[in-house]
Amino acid sequence: MSGRRAIVASSLSSLLIVGAIVAILYLAPGGATVRNAFFDPHSMWQALVGDPSKGLSSVGKGLLTNAWMFVVAEALVLVCGLLLAWVRLSHSPVLFPFRVLSTMYTDVFRGVPILLVIFVVGFGVPALQLGTISNQSPAVYGVAALTITYSAYVAEVFRAGIYAVPQGQLLAARSLGLAHSTTMRRVILPQAVRTVIPPLLNDFISLQKDTALVSTLGAIEATRAAQIYASTEFNFSSYTVASLLFLALTIPLTRFTDRLIAKDRTKRLANV
Amino acid sequence: MRALRFTVAGLTAATLLTTLSLGATSAVAATTVASCQSQIASLEKTSGTLTIATDNPGYTPWFVNNKPTNGKGYESAVGYAIAKTLGVAKKNVKWVTEAFDNSYAPGAKSFDFDLNEISYTADRAKAVDLSVSYYDVQQSIVALKGSAIAKKHSAAQLKTYKYGDQIGTTGLAFINNQIMPTTPARVYSTLDAAVAALQSHQIDAIVIDTPSGQYMASAQIVDKKGKSLATQVGRFPSTGEHYSALLQKGSKLTACVNAAISQLNTNGTIAKLQKKWLNIYTSVPKIKP
Amino acid sequence: MSEIVLSLANVTKRFGDHEVLEGVSLDLHSHEVVALIGHSGSGKSTLLRCANLLEPVSSGAISLFGQNLQDPNIDEDAVRRHIGMVFQSFNLFPHLSVLDNVMLGPIHSLKEPKEIARERALGLLERIGLANRAQEFPDRLSGGQQQRVAIVRSLAMQPALLLLDEVTSALDPTLVGEVLDLLRELAAQGTTMLIATHEMNFCREVASRVAFLHQGRLVEIGSAKEIFESPQHVETKRFLERVS
Repeated sequence: MSGRRAIVASSLSSLLIVGAIVAILYLAPGGATVRNAFFDPHSMWQALVGDPSKGLSSVGKGLLTNAWMFVVAEALVLVCGLLLAWVRLSHSPVLFPFRVLSTMYTDVFRGVPILLVIFVVGFGVPALQLGTISNQSPAVYGVAALTITYSAYVAEVFRAGIYAVPQGQLLAARSLGLAHSTTMRRVILPQAVRTVIPPLLNDFISLQKDTALVSTLGAIEATRAAQIYASTEFNFSSYTVASLLFLALTIPLTRFTDRLIAKDRTKRLANV
Repeated sequence: MRALRFTVAGLTAATLLTTLSLGATSAVAATTVASCQSQIASLEKTSGTLTIATDNPGYTPWFVNNKPTNGKGYESAVGYAIAKTLGVAKKNVKWVTEAFDNSYAPGAKSFDFDLNEISYTADRAKAVDLSVSYYDVQQSIVALKGSAIAKKHSAAQLKTYKYGDQIGTTGLAFINNQIMPTTPARVYSTLDAAVAALQSHQIDAIVIDTPSGQYMASAQIVDKKGKSLATQVGRFPSTGEHYSALLQKGSKLTACVNAAISQLNTNGTIAKLQKKWLNIYTSVPKIKP
Repeated sequence: MSEIVLSLANVTKRFGDHEVLEGVSLDLHSHEVVALIGHSGSGKSTLLRCANLLEPVSSGAISLFGQNLQDPNIDEDAVRRHIGMVFQSFNLFPHLSVLDNVMLGPIHSLKEPKEIARERALGLLERIGLANRAQEFPDRLSGGQQQRVAIVRSLAMQPALLLLDEVTSALDPTLVGEVLDLLRELAAQGTTMLIATHEMNFCREVASRVAFLHQGRLVEIGSAKEIFESPQHVETKRFLERVS
């Protein structure tokens, strides 16, 4: 009974809030202007599909650019981040210079604004005129820049995750005669990965949003397509469309992250 | 919202407006100019003085040595030509400073008209009066010296290049509506980013109005020693974008300034002054989209 | 006398200025159970870790079957394959099933075929009555069960000796018995063991010899009877009075 009442109460309060927003949009003196500027269905549709004859890019097509950029960048970031963390945590004297380099790398790229990295990669690499390397699309340079920056973040996430595995696990594995690398691969990393998944997914959500920054290199992704629409038609509904599309991408990931965190929490509590 | 459009629809409207005023008013122009001359003192903000505004500094070739009063430079010369047509002696013309960004804000103005490379746009025209054209802006192509587009730019060839431009500019609209390239143009947040893309061979060309393009090619895209690396490949026929004299909304002088400019157009003065002061722009080869 | 499995000669271990072990010498013969007793912090755990090369010694020598383990060319991983170690806090791998915990060493350290490792692991689990829990994760087991799995995980490597570091200290008192029972059984089968422990009754019953460590020094060593009934050293007496 209380469950049903809770549902009724929550639906009511949600309805009230949505109703209030709609009421403001309809009753406020400038309501009509805002409705027309941000929520005009015709403009939203036009922005979504685009109109090449007017030079209007499709926001929907732009989002596909965002999507492939972050899928590729995420895969690369996972590999590079793990490698960086591995090098930083190694004890081998042979790897000493790499250890120093990877420490410098994470320090530098966590500190430099991502926009600058995008500019340097996006305009610098093509200027080098190195054949194929210098002849890629802005989106490719964007993916490279995002990978460079986010690998630094993710490396730190992995490192924290590896540190979070109790020392006893390492001792137990080594006392079974397992080599350091086997210990990492079979014992430490599988446990570290579990603790890093929530912070990792959080980084990936920001990575998804940061694909919009690649527009500075001239790539026409969703936000840039929306911007072109707005500056051409003087209607901001295109931004609403872009926002909704981005939400459609990020909400499943945020929900998934929250569920993982909740699951992890109940599991820990059950163990106490 | 619709009235605010300018890039595409606005340009067409502006073209129409220009043609209409040039055509329809030419017959009336003479009488208006005559009637304006007789009552000019009563139309001026300060009776007996024609107050013309521009920004400080005024740049070459629009002004020379940042001195509007010397009559040198295209806008200074046009200012005095308008004054002369309206029957105002050179000594009765006074120049004042008006910042570009303030000029097209609504409200009372402290000058009779403003000459400051102000492009006609429909939304500006809602806040202030904008005269007929005294300079038709022509879009031009800026590319790196020695690049393919510098040599091959027939209408068909132009479609095959990669273009880039700043978002919301008339140059970008020109690429999309007139050149219609096979590869969609890349769009940058700033002109500087577009220039960076051009210099790093990410794009083949930028489309930009001829005066700005001249500056970009000669002063902005240079090597360490200041030697230009870019060239202005050519300029396109005007699509109606033009510079207007700016007046207070509803000014009684607007009709007179329009009449004066129309007369200067008909009697060849405008063409003569452009040849004299804007040779740097008019020497750019004409090409077709 | 039987063969010497592990020999510590004048072993010293310093952490910075702090001397945790000071000149400890001890021989462990095959089939012998030596109990290490002493206060917390007396160096028992460090001694076990040094014996397993998990900690490098500052000076002194350790040898296994007469082979000097301080030799820089020694393969530490190979040495550890012969020495089993069980910890106070079990240290089972939480992401692996009970069976996989036991099979991990044989497969990835001894490079045994999976089937053979599996058979032996199941046999060992059978022996401690947990074969039916083989597929479960360690956190589903009680502390006593977990510690018995940890012991069996070491045995799966078929080590020459077993080091046990206060393996009952983290356990609920009601669960201590089942672990000690397993150790008794191992002792009866002749497993060579070095056991750091606080269970005095268990020492008395099982240990061939008892060594008393005090502030990093091996103060006294002798049969359980000698140590418990007529301790020679004043610190040994004091310690035994306090724990009994």
